Amino acid sequence: MNRARRRKDFFRTAGTWASAGLSVLVLISVFVFVFSRGISTFSFDMLTDNYWATNYLLDIENGEANDFVPPAATDEEKYFSRKFGFSLVDDIDKENNRLMVVESMSALSPLHEGIIATAGSDQGKTHPVPLGARVRRIDYTNINGEARSAGILGQDSSAAKTIERLEIEAVSINGLFYQTTGGGIRGSIISTLMLIGLTLLFALPLGVSSAIYLHEIAPRNRLTSWIRAAVEMLAGVPSIIFGLMGVSMLFRITSLFGINTQSILLGSMTMTIMLLPLIMRQTEEALIVVPASLRMASLSLGASTTQTIFRVILPNALPGILSATLLSISRIIGESAALIFTMGTAISDNPKISQGATSLAVHIWTVMAGEQPNFELATAISLLILVMVLILNLTVKLLTYRINRKWQV
Amino acid sequence: MAAFKVENINLWYDDNQALIDVSLDIPGNQVTAFIGPSGCGKSTLLRCFNRMNDLLPNTRIEGNIIMQDGREISDPSVDVVKLRTEVGMVFQSPNPFPMSVYDNVAYGLRCQGIKNKKQLNTTVEYSLRQAALWDEVKDSLQRNALKLSGGQQQRLCIARAIALEPNVLLMDEPTSALDPIATAKIEDLMQSLKRMYTIIIVTHSMSQAARISDQTAFFLLGKLIEVGPTTEIFQLPKDKRTEDYISGKFG
Ligand SMILES: Nc1ncnc2c1ncn2[C@@H]1O[C@H](COP(=O)(O)OP(=O)(O)O)[C@@H](O)[C@H]1O
Ligand SMILES: [Mg+2]
Repeated sequence: MNRARRRKDFFRTAGTWASAGLSVLVLISVFVFVFSRGISTFSFDMLTDNYWATNYLLDIENGEANDFVPPAATDEEKYFSRKFGFSLVDDIDKENNRLMVVESMSALSPLHEGIIATAGSDQGKTHPVPLGARVRRIDYTNINGEARSAGILGQDSSAAKTIERLEIEAVSINGLFYQTTGGGIRGSIISTLMLIGLTLLFALPLGVSSAIYLHEIAPRNRLTSWIRAAVEMLAGVPSIIFGLMGVSMLFRITSLFGINTQSILLGSMTMTIMLLPLIMRQTEEALIVVPASLRMASLSLGASTTQTIFRVILPNALPGILSATLLSISRIIGESAALIFTMGTAISDNPKISQGATSLAVHIWTVMAGEQPNFELATAISLLILVMVLILNLTVKLLTYRINRKWQV
Repeated sequence: MAAFKVENINLWYDDNQALIDVSLDIPGNQVTAFIGPSGCGKSTLLRCFNRMNDLLPNTRIEGNIIMQDGREISDPSVDVVKLRTEVGMVFQSPNPFPMSVYDNVAYGLRCQGIKNKKQLNTTVEYSLRQAALWDEVKDSLQRNALKLSGGQQQRLCIARAIALEPNVLLMDEPTSALDPIATAKIEDLMQSLKRMYTIIIVTHSMSQAARISDQTAFFLLGKLIEVGPTTEIFQLPKDKRTEDYISGKFG
């Protein structure tokens, strides 16, 4: 090899290495970024909390003052009520409003539970007061038997002042008005699961049976190859166009069921159409690797075409169909454009199939699109999405590896 | 009594004629061997007896095959699915289903809608005994069939075909993928099976044809050159080309 050629080879190899290295680097930095930013906000409470803060007005029974011992480790910032057995700390919310938050609560404290006083179906039910509750107002009775209020709505600007007032004046507590923290993603998790379930319910039977029809039953003629090409092309259509089609065309179908808004149903129907090419493609790939000799064997034993499909071909294509399912789930989790149109952007804590809701990805969009973008929450959700998608894709890789090995006897 | 009378069969794959005016009788309860060089149409003719050629697009067939009951095999009144239960087939390389040994043998019956556990058990055992495989698998009927050795897999495929109690067994080079010991077992098996079944076997091995068959048919380029009792074909071939082939001058 002469020197010029060697030098050329060196540059070419270096070039491929550099570009491969660059893409790996980008991938790693995405992960590092999302993990480092998201992990601090991410918490188990976030997964189970509602997004919208809820107000609770509670009647407290047997709220007489008692004598509680403060928790051993007390620091400057916590203010403990010896009479009522709880402590408050100061905090501020996203919008920089002052808050005071329940930091600890004795099990015997009169404040640990109350009876819901707001009119509604829950009125009269006993309700536990959680740690982290944002105390707005505490209603108490003073020595003269007069009703008074402490807390932010009772003109106390800090936890210290609130506790101090209670310690000095209060004889018994008879009411509490507090607000939950909110900012959780429970509703969006549920609506994502509903979306996944519904979409798969529609898309799997449709996609798998079309693939079977095209691959096993339909004659190989111009029409079927045309259908195949059309399906392939469908896979390349940007999802926002599917979203538009969803609101304009599929909407008519959902309105037949009396659903006249954006809804999870509409979202799942749109996702179904989007995912059909993927599912058909993956299923067909799985059908292709089932050896022709098994079809021949089955037919030679007097099985009908349908029996051959259901008893031999489908069971052997099952891993492929499973990986199609997992890939579909990961696409649904990652989709946003089509869902913004078809399911709306209003976060719902209590999602229903016939109403709009946000999937996790659209939840990110919503919290970032507001006037005060909540970057912390957005990265925490991104972290969740990334981990789920990663796990799904690794499982698919593993499955594909197993399928390919199965037939290499 | 002939199991099949083949009358002037011509077969085309697209424009390529694979069988040219083939006529012969397949005697019942005997072993007929098809020999000839690769590509001469042996497998194609074999597939005519259970109409597996129907499954290939772009085949065209002319001529008749008369079955034992006097009907023409391609007659509309012939139920292909039923025909295939009466004419079993064993393929060149063993192709058990990736399911248990038991399920493999019970497959054909279950497709016929038979669910009776007792009947299935009896037939599975009977077929595996007939295929000389019972003693080797009786303790592991639930094992995946793909875990068996190649020779065992091929006997399983024979058992699977026998389970339907066919009249005819078609075998397309059933031992070409097997080692000599497994081959010997299958040949023994065929000797014992021919009392009950009409067997048509395609083989590449002259010695195999000579050992196991009663009648031999020699094909060349889609034409039947010579057919007759095996001893005559091997000892006194009438056609020069047959003689050249069995003496190993080409092939
Ligand atoms: N499915 C098919 N499609 C087209 N041509 C075929 C097909 N099967 C066999 N042939 C052709 O028909 C001829 C006979 O083939 P085959 O019956 O398999 O021969 P043999 O079994 O004697 O080796 C060959 O020329 C082969 O190429
Ligand atoms: Mg052949």
